[in-house]
Amino acid sequence: MALLTAAAWGVAPFSLLGGLSLSLLLLTALKLREAKQRREHRLVYLLQLVTAGLLGAQQAALGSSLLQGLAVLVALAGLLQLELGGITNLGTLLRRSGQLVLAALPMALVLFLLFPRLGPFSNLGGLGQFGAAATTGLSTTLEPGTIATLTQDRSPAARVAFPGGGPPPASQRLWRVLVHGQFDGQSWRSLNAGTAGSGMAGSGGSDPIIGGPQTPVATQVWLSEPNNFAEVPWSGAGLPLDRQLKVDGQGQLRYQGAVGARKLYSLAAAPAAPAWRRQAPTAQDLQMTAGTNPRLESLAASWRRQAASDTKAAAGTKTAGGRKNGANGAKAVALAEAWFRQQGFRYSLNNPLLPQNAPLDALLFERRQGFCGHYASALSALMRAAGVPARVVSGYRGGTWVVPLGGSAFLDLRQSDAHAWSEVWIEGEGWRSLDPTLWVLGGPTLGDPSAQSAPATAPATSAAAADRAGPLDWIARQWWGLDLAWGQWWLGFDQSSQELLLQRLLGPYRDWAGALLVGAVALTLALGVAAYGWLRRRCEGDRLQQELNQLLRSCARRGLVPQPGETVSQFGRRLRQARPLLGPELEDFVGLLQQLRYGRPGDSQRQLMARLRRCGQSLRQQLRRSPS
Amino acid sequence: MQSAAPRQRTIPHRLEQHLSRWQPAPQQGEVLKLGLRNLYIVPTGFGLLWLGGALLLQLVGIQTQSNGPLLLSFVMLALLLLSLHLTHGQLDGLEVRCAQPEPAFAGETAAYPLIVRVKSACEGLEWRLGPGAFQGVGSLGPGEHQLPLTWIPHQRGWQRPGKLRLQTTAPLGLFVCWSRWQLPAEQLVYPAQNPGPVRQVPMADWRERTAAAGALAGEGTEEWQDLRPHRRGDSSSRMAWKLLAQGRGAQTKRFQDQRPEPSLLAPDPAVAQEQALEHLCDRLCQLHRQGQSYGLALSGLQIAPDRGSSHRDRCLEALALCPYK
Repeated sequence: MALLTAAAWGVAPFSLLGGLSLSLLLLTALKLREAKQRREHRLVYLLQLVTAGLLGAQQAALGSSLLQGLAVLVALAGLLQLELGGITNLGTLLRRSGQLVLAALPMALVLFLLFPRLGPFSNLGGLGQFGAAATTGLSTTLEPGTIATLTQDRSPAARVAFPGGGPPPASQRLWRVLVHGQFDGQSWRSLNAGTAGSGMAGSGGSDPIIGGPQTPVATQVWLSEPNNFAEVPWSGAGLPLDRQLKVDGQGQLRYQGAVGARKLYSLAAAPAAPAWRRQAPTAQDLQMTAGTNPRLESLAASWRRQAASDTKAAAGTKTAGGRKNGANGAKAVALAEAWFRQQGFRYSLNNPLLPQNAPLDALLFERRQGFCGHYASALSALMRAAGVPARVVSGYRGGTWVVPLGGSAFLDLRQSDAHAWSEVWIEGEGWRSLDPTLWVLGGPTLGDPSAQSAPATAPATSAAAADRAGPLDWIARQWWGLDLAWGQWWLGFDQSSQELLLQRLLGPYRDWAGALLVGAVALTLALGVAAYGWLRRRCEGDRLQQELNQLLRSCARRGLVPQPGETVSQFGRRLRQARPLLGPELEDFVGLLQQLRYGRPGDSQRQLMARLRRCGQSLRQQLRRSPS
Repeated sequence: MQSAAPRQRTIPHRLEQHLSRWQPAPQQGEVLKLGLRNLYIVPTGFGLLWLGGALLLQLVGIQTQSNGPLLLSFVMLALLLLSLHLTHGQLDGLEVRCAQPEPAFAGETAAYPLIVRVKSACEGLEWRLGPGAFQGVGSLGPGEHQLPLTWIPHQRGWQRPGKLRLQTTAPLGLFVCWSRWQLPAEQLVYPAQNPGPVRQVPMADWRERTAAAGALAGEGTEEWQDLRPHRRGDSSSRMAWKLLAQGRGAQTKRFQDQRPEPSLLAPDPAVAQEQALEHLCDRLCQLHRQGQSYGLALSGLQIAPDRGSSHRDRCLEALALCPYK
């Protein structure tokens, strides 16, 4: 029970599945209290098994999986104890249940690998999407004016491995999570925030790839810590490999599993640029309440005019309207960058609160200091005021490349890596990511040594990262490496991987999959029964008798067989006469055998047994070498 | 949870009753050798529940597309299939025979020795007679074992305990594998020991015969009957001092005890025959415990008074096999 409770740690209590498993857990505990008959105890153990399975649906990380596995073993040991009565030693029971699981595992794996997989029943939706409980460094509303101090929270946010390749270059390490498109002059809000599965932008949303002969291989495997929303971090490019994953029109990756749980998902390399980058802006992306930040608006209006006149001068009046707008956008961006760099803005984590009225005016023209959220929201507001569709994106930047001793290398993202940047619509190009924080003084740059590492220099940087972090962090990173490797291997196997496996196994005889399954199950069943018998004989039999039998078999091969009614000592004496070389050791063996079998049990039993085994081994070797 | 408990108890019970009508005939013969021909195996209620649990996990695994519940449900299914063979394997090859049972009393727990020969190992073996409760032992290793089978006979005479059901649900309780056997050895059952009135028969002819023989008179200590000349070595306490003082010579007293007259026990005609036999049985055992001698007079059968275990057994056997009137 304690195991299960430990395994249930961190399950979202208000999600459907989480609630179900927690109430089952409670029920199991209550039933255990009142259980008296064998039938009731059996029920308790079955409940324990089912609960472990339900928890497995929510927590697939390595640690949780190990705990769940242990809970299963304990439940089986309990069932065995009910049936076999006499055994009370927990070690023996666990060994017996281990033997059972070992015998059943080949068949279970065959079923797991070959049994046809079904997609989820769509009408039920994801079982755990109601409610959330966890926290993160990100928020669906970005209101920089109300945040004075950004705390440096070093807790883990996400980890990503890149199977078959190293991490992207530092300049491309922007991991988007939320897109804030709604601006009211003060704060940026995320559209459809927190409503997983409802806001799929039809034309821009891309479905995960399932099946097909050229099933893509995962190039990003993510493990995201629990957060409050359905959106999960990704690079902005790649094709989701899980059914629960969907990319919406704004470039947000949404996970339809349990909100508030750890999420493991993978993405494949995309052949073309992602669709969301070309998704045309809507009126929402230009929306701005006029008059909230007058100085900002007048500055933007001047850029607009300047961009328009420059474009006219450069291209003449023949240019089409759309092109003109696009050129305007690029020009406005260039003007903004130049302006930002001139102003001498400073990057600071401790800032006074901005006034309620015209907060961005105060930021840009008076205070001139702030962090990423301030500058991203100011730039996006400026762009909107200049007539260029823009929005704020929040997510993570950079990350530490870690190469653990075991498991896969991964990029470690912390909550302190949380970042915000702008995205502007450039006609003809699509949505372009702009990071105004790079234009200000004293900000974290992409040239940060901890963030700029290529696979070739990876061990050095991982050492550097380990130096910076404490020993506990180092242990945690080693564990996460194993965890990610487990995730890659464990969660990576889905319907498409199964298709691939069957293709590889059967090739053109794909229709024979059913026969293969039945045959393999029958074979593994026979194997399981035989293996269980073998394991039982091996582990439970009389060790002394086994040793003696082994020696007798060796003797029999040399034609030395005990006569009917002959005792071990008599046979030993006869053997010594036939093979004088065996003499002293044979005497030792017989003596030890007698002592262990009939002597007074003492503390040195184990040593005697070891000596007997050594003796037997050497005797058998000598017999093998001797001529028959 | 509590409200569900009574239903759990009754439904399988009713089902079992229902199914028992179609149960195959029990095995006959002196030795029961269990194998494919006479072993039956079905899933237990728990096994069906287990299957339900596996299906539930399968559904959850499909719906959440997670591998944990899927693998666990397959492990559960595999264990179900495996335990079908393992449970059958527990009883397969078992050889059961009866040893000659000792006589027992009706209404009391009687031991009925069963000898089981196990080839490799047999775990969780349980047995029951008729509709009774299951008795069980833990695990049996290879070799011969005696099962402590007990039953309570209700009738006197040569009796058989009825049908034996041997079963096991090991290792996981998912399947129950069983066989039924008509126990071949007959056990002699004495009437129950029930205290009550017993008729004592003063048989004239028997008294005459024995009086002449004087077999009943033994030397006693209470009152002297006779004198004989004193011999050296005779105890001085037995010396007839009075006669010596009277000058009638040294005489030694001879004593003789007044022993209770041994009787023949017979059923009380005022009581129904079976009950009278039970009273007789009780009295007989009582007299045996006190070390007294007794005889028995049943219709058409007389057993002369005697003592000892073999005499008691002879009497009890006569009671057990006494024909109905």
